[in-house]
Amino acid sequence: MSRRYDVIVVGAGHAGVEAAHAAARVGCTVGLCTLSRETVAHMPCNPAIGGTAKGHLVREIDALGGLMGEAIDATAMQFKLLNRSRGPAVWSPRAQADKRQYGRWMRARLEAEEHIGWIIGRVGAVRLEGGRVVGVELEDGRRYGCGAVVVTTGTFLNGVIHVGDEQRSAGRVGEPASKMLGESLKELGLVWGRLKTGTPPRLDRGSIDFSQFEEEPGDVPPVPFSFLTGLVDREQTPCHIVHTNDRVHELVRENKDRSPLYNGQISGIGPRYCPSLEDKVMRFPERDRHLVFLEPEGVDVPEIYVSGCSMCLPREVQEAVIHAMPGLGDARVLRPGYAVEYDFIQPTELRPTLETRKVAGLFLAGQINGTSGYEEAGGQGLVAGVNAARRVRGDGEWVLGRDEAYLGVMVDDLTARGCLEPYRMFTSRAEHRLLLRIDNADLRLTARGREIGLIGDGRWSEFLARRERFERNVAAVRAARAPGRGGSVELAQVLRRPGVTLAGLAAEGAVEVEAGRDGRAYELSSVETVVKYEGYLRRQTATVARGERDERRRIPQGFPYGKVPGLSREVVERLSGVGPATLGQAGRVPGVTPAAVAVLGSYVRRWGGRGMPAARD
Amino acid sequence: MFAPDDTIVAVATPPGRGGLGVVRLSGPEAQTLATRLLDHREPLRARHATVSRIVDASTPAGNAIDQVVATSFPGPGSYTGDDVVEISAHGSPVLLERIVALACAGGARLAEPGEFTFRAYLNGRLDLVQAEAVADLVDAVTPLQARVAFDQLEGTVTQAIGAIDTDLFDLIARLEASLDFPNEGYHFVEPGTVAQGIGLLRDRVIGLLAGSTRGRLIREGCHVVILGKPNVGKSSVFNALIGSSRAIVTAVAGTTRDLVSDVIDLDGVAVTLVDSAGIRVTNDAVEAEGVARARQALAVASSVVVVLDRSAGLEEEDRSVLEATAGTSRVVALNKIDVASPSAWPREALDLPPETSVVEVSARTGQGLDMLRSAVRAGLVGEEVYRDTPTVGNQRHIGLLERASGALADAQRVTQDGATEEFVLADLQRARTAFEELTGARTPDDVVNHIFERFCIGK
Repeated sequence: MSRRYDVIVVGAGHAGVEAAHAAARVGCTVGLCTLSRETVAHMPCNPAIGGTAKGHLVREIDALGGLMGEAIDATAMQFKLLNRSRGPAVWSPRAQADKRQYGRWMRARLEAEEHIGWIIGRVGAVRLEGGRVVGVELEDGRRYGCGAVVVTTGTFLNGVIHVGDEQRSAGRVGEPASKMLGESLKELGLVWGRLKTGTPPRLDRGSIDFSQFEEEPGDVPPVPFSFLTGLVDREQTPCHIVHTNDRVHELVRENKDRSPLYNGQISGIGPRYCPSLEDKVMRFPERDRHLVFLEPEGVDVPEIYVSGCSMCLPREVQEAVIHAMPGLGDARVLRPGYAVEYDFIQPTELRPTLETRKVAGLFLAGQINGTSGYEEAGGQGLVAGVNAARRVRGDGEWVLGRDEAYLGVMVDDLTARGCLEPYRMFTSRAEHRLLLRIDNADLRLTARGREIGLIGDGRWSEFLARRERFERNVAAVRAARAPGRGGSVELAQVLRRPGVTLAGLAAEGAVEVEAGRDGRAYELSSVETVVKYEGYLRRQTATVARGERDERRRIPQGFPYGKVPGLSREVVERLSGVGPATLGQAGRVPGVTPAAVAVLGSYVRRWGGRGMPAARD
Repeated sequence: MFAPDDTIVAVATPPGRGGLGVVRLSGPEAQTLATRLLDHREPLRARHATVSRIVDASTPAGNAIDQVVATSFPGPGSYTGDDVVEISAHGSPVLLERIVALACAGGARLAEPGEFTFRAYLNGRLDLVQAEAVADLVDAVTPLQARVAFDQLEGTVTQAIGAIDTDLFDLIARLEASLDFPNEGYHFVEPGTVAQGIGLLRDRVIGLLAGSTRGRLIREGCHVVILGKPNVGKSSVFNALIGSSRAIVTAVAGTTRDLVSDVIDLDGVAVTLVDSAGIRVTNDAVEAEGVARARQALAVASSVVVVLDRSAGLEEEDRSVLEATAGTSRVVALNKIDVASPSAWPREALDLPPETSVVEVSARTGQGLDMLRSAVRAGLVGEEVYRDTPTVGNQRHIGLLERASGALADAQRVTQDGATEEFVLADLQRARTAFEELTGARTPDDVVNHIFERFCIGK
C-alpha cells in the first residue's frame, strides 16, 4: 500500500517550495516530489531575487507567510532598492543571491516542516478517477495517493537545450527532461504551447580583470525583503558593469546563422523584455553598445553570471564574444549560455485558484503556466498551494483581487489573457499601482493570510503592533499643525508640498512619530504616503469601487456563452476558452468588447448565476 | 436593452408614399425569411440585386402582391454585422406594412427605433461615435448638419481623438518603461520634455473643444430672437427671413403678442427664428404677457436680431432694447431703409461697440436681407466650416473631452511640480479612459507591447 498525502507538489523549484510550504501551513500533509534534494529552490538563471514589480511580489509572498523574502534576506550578497528616485509606489527591492546558500536555506526550512514528506523521483503521470485527481505515479512505478496535485515542473516539460547546433533533451544543465508527465498532461486535453528562454555563459571569477570595470556597490543600509527582517548587517559584494562593443556585435552578426534563434532551429517564443544578445544586435542595429552586468553567483563559488549576454551561439563563438570585451580577454567560460525550449500549459486553462478547469484537484504553478521569473513562480506556488489544500479540506476558493495584490493582478492576467510570450510582472500591469506598494504589502495581505491559517502567532502579533503604530502615526501626522501664513496650517498640507518628507519633518521636531522596530523604514513610508498622496490614493480607491460590481458578479463554471443572444461567435469562443470567473474578468479577455460585457452582464444578472439561460421565447 | 439574437424587420424608408420603399431584415433568419416571402426558390445571391415578387401565402391563391428588388448582405460584412436582406418595393405604405406583417408572421420581430444601428455597434461594425453619427445623419435637417454627421460617421471625430490618443499612449508607454526598466542606461523619454509633451496633447484636445460651441449649434440648431420696440417691423423682418407670411403684420403697434417661431436653414445652420412682441411698458394684459415671453425667449436665444426703425427717430425704448441685449450675440438691423425720412439718423448715433454687426435692410423690398442672413450666421458659427477640422457637437463628446483636458492639465501641473512618473501616469490614465469611453472601445494594447517595438530592454 503506497503512502497517501493530502497534497502532492511535483517539483521543488521556486513555485514548488512555496506551494508545499503554504499547503502545510494551512494544515495539510504534503508530499514534495523532486529529483534531488540538492536542487531545491535552484536558480538556473540570474542569481538574483526581486527587481521592479518582482520585488513587490516577494514582499507580498512574505506578507502572506511565504518563504522567499526570508530566504533572500538570509542569503543575499548585495541589496539594492530600485526606483529610489521615484515615489514609494514603485520602489522595488532587488538582491544578488548566493545561489547555493539560498537553496540550502530553503531545503532546511522545508525539512523542518513536520507535515512535509519528501518523494525523491520523477513523476510520470497524474492519476485520475472520475475526472478528479487521486494521486501520482512515478516513472519507476511507485504510486502515491492524494486529494490534489500541484504541478510545478518549470521548463522540464519536453525541454530541449540548444547551444549552437548541439541539441539535447533536458530540463536544465545536467538535469533530464520530463517527457512522460508532459504527454500525460496533454492527454487531459489541456491547451499547451511552446516557449523559449535563455541564459548567458558563466565565467570563472579568477580569470577576470575586475580593475577594468565600473563597480556597482549595494545600498547602505540595505533594504530587506521580509517584514520579519530587521537590520541587515553584512558585508556586500559589488557587481560590475561592462559594455558590449563593435567587435562583439560584429561577431554576433557574422555567426548569426549558427544561432538556433536565427537559423530556424528554435520555434518557441522568447521574452521580449529579456532579449538574447543575438536579438539585441539584430533587432536594434542603431545601438552601438549594450549594458552587461557581471554578477557573482555566490560568495565562495567561482561562477560569474554575465547578465545581459544570454545567447545560444556555438561555444567557440561565445568565447570569442566574451574575449572581445575589455577585462574579459582571458576570461574562462565555465559553462556556455544556452537557449531552452519547453512546453507550457496555456493558463487560460486555469481558474483563479490555479486549478485546471478540466480536471478537479489538478493545480499548476510557475513556469509551466508560461511565466518567467522566480518571483512569479513563487507567488503562483503560494496561491496554488493554499487552494490545493483548501480543495482537499473542502474550504472555499481563495482569490486575491487586482486591487489587493500584484499576485492578484498576475493570476488574473494569466487566467483571463493567457500567454503569448513568457509572462513577467511589471508595475504597469497593475492599474491600481499606487495602492499596491511594498511598504503596505503587510497591511494589505497579512490579515488575509491570517484568516486562512498562513500566518503564525509570532508574525501576527508583530504585525498587529506594526498596524497599531501605523494608525497612531497617521493620526499624529493628521492632527499636527505647523507654523504657516497668519498662524498655523495643517502639517499634512506642508507634507504634500513637493520635496517635503515625513522623516525631514520629524527630524525638525514638527511631529513626533514612532519609528518601526530595528529601523524598518517602510513603516514611515506607509504613513507618509497615505497623507502625502491622499488625493491620488482616494481617486484610485474610487476607481476600484466603480469596478467592484463587475468584479463581484460571478459567472458560474460551464456558463453556456453560446446561448447568450447577441454575443458574436468570436466572443463566445474566447469566453468559452477562458471561462472567466467574474464579469470583470470577462471584460479583460482579449477581444471581448464593452458592448459584449454589457450584454453578458444582463444575462448573468438575470440568471443570478444559478440557472442557465433558456432559449428566448 | 433589446434582445439582439432574433431577426428584426422594419420599413427603412420614411413613412408616407414614395416611388420606392425599403423593408430591411436583419438577424440569423433574415435569408430564410426573405426566401419564404419571395417567389424565389434558391437562396439570394450575396450582394446582388435580385428581381423577384412578394407572395402573400395567406391569400387563397397565394397571390403575388408586388414586384421587388431584393439584396442579401451576409454577415459579418453587412451594415449590422448580422445577415441582412433589403427588399425594395413600391413605395405604398399599405404595401410596405403588408410585407413587414408577412415577415413578422414568418417569425421576425418589429425592430425598435435605432435597433439596426445598435446591432451594428454590438457587432463592432461601428464605434459609439459613429453610431451616434448615424442618428444625427438621419435627423439632419440642413445639408451642413448632414455633412458634419457624415464626417463623424466616416470617423473624422474618432480619428482626431484616435490620433491624440495614440500620441498620449506613446508618452504613457515611455513613462511606464522608465518605471519598469530603471537600469537600462538610457532615457525612454527625455526628462524636461514631459510637461511640454503633455501640454501639446492638451492643446489638441482644446482645439477640438474650441469648435464645439459651433458644433453644438450645427448639430442641435439654435434660437434667434427678433427683438425691438413695437412697430419697427420685427414681423416683417421675420417673414422676410422665413420667406412666407407667418406672422401677422399690421400697422398697429403691438400686433404680435405671442411668440411666433419657425425653423429656417441659414446656410446649413438650423435656426429657430422667434418673432416676439415688442418690448415696451404696456397696460394691456395680453401684450404684457407677450413682452414677458419675449424676455424669456431672449434668455435662451443663441443670438438676437435687434430691429430698429431707420425712418423714425431713435427713442428711449430703442436704447433700452440695445442695453438689454448688450451681453448677447446680436445683429442690429436698421429696417425701413426704403422709406425716405427726414428724421433718419447716422449709425454713429447708436454708439455701439465696434464688434456689433449693423446691417441696413428693407424687409419690404428685400434689400439687405442676404447681408442680414450672413451677419446672423457669422455671429452664430463664425466663418466657413472646413472639412479637415472635425466638428465636435455632441454634448457627451464635449463632456468627455473636457474631462480629458482636465486630467491632462493635472498631469502637466504635477510634472512641473516635480512629481515622478507614477503620479503623472495616474493623471494621464484618466485622460486615456475618457478617450476610450468616448469611442466606446477599450484598447487592449498592452503598454508594454508598445515599448518593445522601439526599445531594446533587458539586461
